Amino acid sequence: MVLMSFRLPFLSGDTPNVILHSTTTTAPSNMSSNREPLWYCHECNAEMRPLMAPDPHCASCNSTFVEKMENPADDPREFQHGHGGVEDDADMDQFFAGLQHILGMNQQARTRSPDHPPTVPNATQPRSASPPSQPGLPVSSGTYTIRIDRSTNGGPARTIITSGPSVLGGDPSIPRLSEFASRTPRPTRPADTIAGPLMLQYLLTMLANRPGTNGQAPPDFLQGMFPGAENGRMGDYVFNQEALDQIITQLMESSQPHPVPATEEIMNKLPREVLEEGSPLLEKDCAVCKDQFSLTTEDPDEQVIVTLPCKHPFHEPCIMPWLKSSATCPVCRYELVPQPHHHDPNDSHTASSNANGAANQAQRSSSPTSRDHTEHQGGGIFSNFFNFMTGAHGQDHDHDATSSNEGHASPSSAGRSQSPAQTSPRPSESHSRRGSQDHPQAPGAWEHDLD
Amino acid sequence: MAAVSTRRLQKELADIKNHGTPTGITLLKADDFETWYLTLEVLGESLYKGEVFALKFRFEPGYPISSPAVQFVVDDKFRAPLHPHVYSNGHICASILGTEWSPVLSVISVCITLQSMLASCKDKKRPPDNDRYVAHAPENPKKTQFVYHDDEV
Repeated sequence: MVLMSFRLPFLSGDTPNVILHSTTTTAPSNMSSNREPLWYCHECNAEMRPLMAPDPHCASCNSTFVEKMENPADDPREFQHGHGGVEDDADMDQFFAGLQHILGMNQQARTRSPDHPPTVPNATQPRSASPPSQPGLPVSSGTYTIRIDRSTNGGPARTIITSGPSVLGGDPSIPRLSEFASRTPRPTRPADTIAGPLMLQYLLTMLANRPGTNGQAPPDFLQGMFPGAENGRMGDYVFNQEALDQIITQLMESSQPHPVPATEEIMNKLPREVLEEGSPLLEKDCAVCKDQFSLTTEDPDEQVIVTLPCKHPFHEPCIMPWLKSSATCPVCRYELVPQPHHHDPNDSHTASSNANGAANQAQRSSSPTSRDHTEHQGGGIFSNFFNFMTGAHGQDHDHDATSSNEGHASPSSAGRSQSPAQTSPRPSESHSRRGSQDHPQAPGAWEHDLD
Repeated sequence: MAAVSTRRLQKELADIKNHGTPTGITLLKADDFETWYLTLEVLGESLYKGEVFALKFRFEPGYPISSPAVQFVVDDKFRAPLHPHVYSNGHICASILGTEWSPVLSVISVCITLQSMLASCKDKKRPPDNDRYVAHAPENPKKTQFVYHDDEV
């Protein structure tokens, strides 16, 4: 399952994809049993037994991207869990080392765990079903995986995979981001470490909130790596509420049919008439300023009357500023330039705040390729994003698999039930599309944009 | 030279003082040409019978080319009407205050429009996205991009 495909302004001229994905992996011990060969679903990244009619497809996600695992030399799971192949690439080494450095805190957690048996109660898991005092066993039966696929110009694709154990959210012993960022040991909490999806979430949040919550800038490698991250946006993704709101605002604005101004040419060609004695215009008012046309105005410009094609007359200094914002007649809405019409019955009654108008403007212009990828839960960008990560496993796949515990796997169902969200670079045309497909019923409900 | 808005607002104010305001609309406060307050009441049979609301108008120097920022007053004395187009913070989703603003409109014509909007309401309820909007709404409703979806209410 490809969860998220980051397009990052990354290093030098390369176009890498960072693919975050998670797996729920059934124990290979089952796999090696003498049952008939299992199949592998490339959407779920999981072994399964497919439904065979009409074509083999995954019973879980209905994907037909399934593979029968009969050739041990070509095990699709190899791609999933990989060999951690760090290519001999200085740039990537730097990135990988930095990432590993952060994730390495996780290793400490694990080496500590025998001393501090994970008292981590998994809310969804009956304690009796998995004695937590079993030393050396991971608390969770999941892994997350960060895989970085990167193809150098013309060169071979390179893959870096790192993975780690998962700790599920909602546990009081899991440190908050601020606690995590401060890296201050909390003696009262022996299990004061995070890993897996939460680690990623914190990591990305800290990237997004540079400098970090403890006032330190993140490591240099991250600064160079994610130049766009400081605004809570990294490429096409957002990592905090503010950035999400900005995206929502953009979406709303792009959906909003703004009035189309008149061109200079159109305005210059409008018939002008200088008031004279006896002109019938002197009987009329300018609808903008509500003053009657008069020969005795202080401003000589107000002797110049512009009559729109709909025959409505205005003072030139009254109508011109209006036409610069909307090429319509203020009185009858005659359109000098075709205007967007926004009474789409499928549009819903929504509003989005634009508290940072200027900032948004700047951001918009500086990131014209920003894509409309958002989730519909206001504060839930992470929860959606990382729900996928919670179907997790121990860091060491083989080791963990042999000790996998049914009870641990339950949280994965939440993530699993969601359809995989894959996005790929898409031109900004989506900004201009509108209509029911783009604007379902609730603000931020952009399921349709997640194609 | 005074802002364009001043001249126009002077004229509107004089008109109000000379000719009065329409039924159910009263000028509460217009001490300057930046912020005005008016009260709004739906007379006759309506879901808002007996309720009095206050409207706050804020004018930019470019008024009437630029639309006024109009919202219902929400304070210890006034409440925003319970209406599908009125958020609990007083912000109003009405196209004439946004993309369909026209410099032909005036303070009084806006009031009449909103009075009519209330009078025709058949279901007193908040907009469906009220909570989310209010949580993040800018102070000035003009900074909100509303999407207008029906002419019914």
